[in-house]
Amino acid sequence: MSAEALRSKSSEKRPGEKGPSEKRSGGKGLSEKGLKAGSVGLIGAVVIGVSCIAPAYTLTAALGPTVAEVGVHLPAIFLVGFIPMLLVALGYRELNNAMPDAGTSFTWASRAFGPWIGWMGGWGLISATIIVLSNLAAVAVDFFYLMLAQLTANPGLADLSANLPLNIATTLVFIALACWISYRGMETTKTFQYVLVAFQLLVLGWFAVAAFSHVANGTAFDATAITPDWFNPFAVGSFTAFAAGVSLSIFIYWGWDVTLTMNEETKNPEKTPGRAATVTVVVIVVIYMIVALATLAFAGVGDTGLGAGNPDNQASIFAVLAGPVMGPFAILMSLAILSSSAASLQSTFVSPARTLLSMGHYRALPKKFGRISPAHKSPSYATIASAVAAAAFYIITRTVSENALWDTITALGMMICFYYGITALACVWYFRAEAFRGIRAFLFKFLAPLAGGVILLVMFVKTAYDSMDPAYGSGSNVGGLGLVFILGMGVLLLGVVLMFIMYKVQPAFFKGQVLEKSSQVFDPDV
Amino acid sequence: MRYVVGYSANARGRDAVNLAIALARRQNASLELVLVVPDDSPYNVVHPPAAGYQSILTDQAKLWLAEALTLIPVDVPAQTHVRKGESEASVLIAAAEEFGAGLLVIGAGSRGLFKRFTIGPVASALLHAATVPVALAPQGYGRTDPITRLTCGIGLREGAQDVLDVAAAAAGRRKLPLRLVSLVALDGGGAPEAAKAPREHADERLAAAVKDRVFHGVPVELAVAQGRSIEDAVDHLAWEDSEVLLIGSSRLARDNSLFLGSTANRILRSLPVPMIVVPRSYKSVAQRHGSIQSEEVNQ
Repeated sequence: MSAEALRSKSSEKRPGEKGPSEKRSGGKGLSEKGLKAGSVGLIGAVVIGVSCIAPAYTLTAALGPTVAEVGVHLPAIFLVGFIPMLLVALGYRELNNAMPDAGTSFTWASRAFGPWIGWMGGWGLISATIIVLSNLAAVAVDFFYLMLAQLTANPGLADLSANLPLNIATTLVFIALACWISYRGMETTKTFQYVLVAFQLLVLGWFAVAAFSHVANGTAFDATAITPDWFNPFAVGSFTAFAAGVSLSIFIYWGWDVTLTMNEETKNPEKTPGRAATVTVVVIVVIYMIVALATLAFAGVGDTGLGAGNPDNQASIFAVLAGPVMGPFAILMSLAILSSSAASLQSTFVSPARTLLSMGHYRALPKKFGRISPAHKSPSYATIASAVAAAAFYIITRTVSENALWDTITALGMMICFYYGITALACVWYFRAEAFRGIRAFLFKFLAPLAGGVILLVMFVKTAYDSMDPAYGSGSNVGGLGLVFILGMGVLLLGVVLMFIMYKVQPAFFKGQVLEKSSQVFDPDV
Repeated sequence: MRYVVGYSANARGRDAVNLAIALARRQNASLELVLVVPDDSPYNVVHPPAAGYQSILTDQAKLWLAEALTLIPVDVPAQTHVRKGESEASVLIAAAEEFGAGLLVIGAGSRGLFKRFTIGPVASALLHAATVPVALAPQGYGRTDPITRLTCGIGLREGAQDVLDVAAAAAGRRKLPLRLVSLVALDGGGAPEAAKAPREHADERLAAAVKDRVFHGVPVELAVAQGRSIEDAVDHLAWEDSEVLLIGSSRLARDNSLFLGSTANRILRSLPVPMIVVPRSYKSVAQRHGSIQSEEVNQ
């Protein structure tokens, strides 16, 4: 026997070894799920879902811009906004079960529609996560200075956040820190997540109770009586406002789908994910409704002072309202939002980094994106590239826009509609052979994702078209074109340009030589 | 004899492989290269979910291990393993127990600029919990030739006999000359008379340690090293490039596990050669086998 043969008796599996699971789904040979089985119960899964949504951060970032679009019909839009998210997430789950892969939307869209659309799907996902990273960091910075001001009882410190160079510098520090933690591969523990989620829910509940008691005592800023009309989505004035509201509310539920895709890591893969998804959405809808109603009842939708329609309050509504509503306890709100956005910032880094890594791995991007750090076993180049992109995006938005947070959130809503839309339709196309083979397949693999995908892409086109108006969003514009349009379309166009460059440099992926186009074959035994 | 090598595809991993080769060649041990990939905690919420990262990581890990095998000369048998776990240290300990390994070899160095040993978090965790001896390769360890001498650090406290037992057995097994060293730190002062008492005490201690002891026919040398501090004492001692220091773990350790005491920690920081830390009350594989064999002979 040769020396080579002697030494290459590499053993990857032994009895009792906690080795990589060789379980592959659907014979696709794409990848394997690596998470341990039997570790997360129902409550744990709900905590993970709520933590992914980060309700304190989401509300402060999205409540203002949504009110600006739909006024008092905020509760209606929040309810309606869940429908496309639910429909798409059902498709997402089917794809995740059939082809679990780090590239998610990128890989699935490549499989279903071929490399070009797949590349753009991946680009949409990466852009959305990069944009949310810059927004998360900015929100964290706002509340960081606000908390300093509250701690030292020196309101002047909160204004530091409005100092442009200082704000950009602090945001870059936050992004760099989160990138470093993510690169080092440090993980969030169970206890930390439980405390974080409980604290967020508690503080949001406190805010609502305090706001309602102000209304009852007649001390509210602009006490507004709740009417059934607030829950009627058809009362929203225009389709433009409706589309903008829905694409924003996609953002507020973004993260919920994670509960549906948890399988092997749950104690009871048959039941836990579905129940957790249901409980999570009930918890989230209840807290959103209470807080939305409390905010509207307390502050009204007026565009002056504390009014939720005041453009100055859009960027971060709780930064303005927490003080008047909660009094000295407003610091708890700052702490809740700072902790949830900082934690999300760190964990969100994982996502674009892994998608970039996956694209590098499948040679849709230069090979260096596929590099893994030998010491920390995390994507190295891709993580740093994500941080640089998030920093660059923030610097550009911040210098061009008077109200950068508002515009990034609106652009983000658009971007999520884009890649979720593509992903949902990829599900329909990939499973087309199974679509009419039974009620379950018809509903989950065809009807739900088709409806969700179409709704989201319609919202995307409509929002993109409307955002050309220079008055859209915060009213920032470049050469008469709305900044939201420039940000959203600019990022997508940049993707198209990069895609063609990649085609010139590394055509193999685009010729379908790496990820072959395919579809699920109907197998009556499954 | 099998050694588990905690491998990573960087300079630290190569240090560990080199040391493992140098140690293995002396007694025909085989190497089990273990590369630990982190397990995703579900509480580390990743959104959008990126489930397949583990498979890319595992593929990469296998590639890295294949590269690692090319570092190992033909005369040293080696196998590779990819293992998943949240803590690298606990995975390595589990692997060492599973393989019945006599030694766990890791690269200890991280970016210490001036000190040869700057303990990384994994090495540090291992030194507090391992149940088998842990060999630490200093940064930039490039030798793969067999080791030529074993030095054993003899401490003041109870438990010093245990490490001496292991050292005597290890030297006997490998037919290596053994050097027994006592380190003396003289804080402050500097008057030669002040140094006398501790020095004499150290001499006595060494003499007591070797009394009534069988050394399986290997040459034994006694040495006392002194300096202003433990680090200084280590620097004053002459070290051969090809030797290894064996020390016992702290008396704070539970039986059969490691806990690096403060003295050992300080030695580690100035040591130019690899170090093996032996758990308290540890009996080497050969010692255990030895006793079984002699029982059989008696029957």
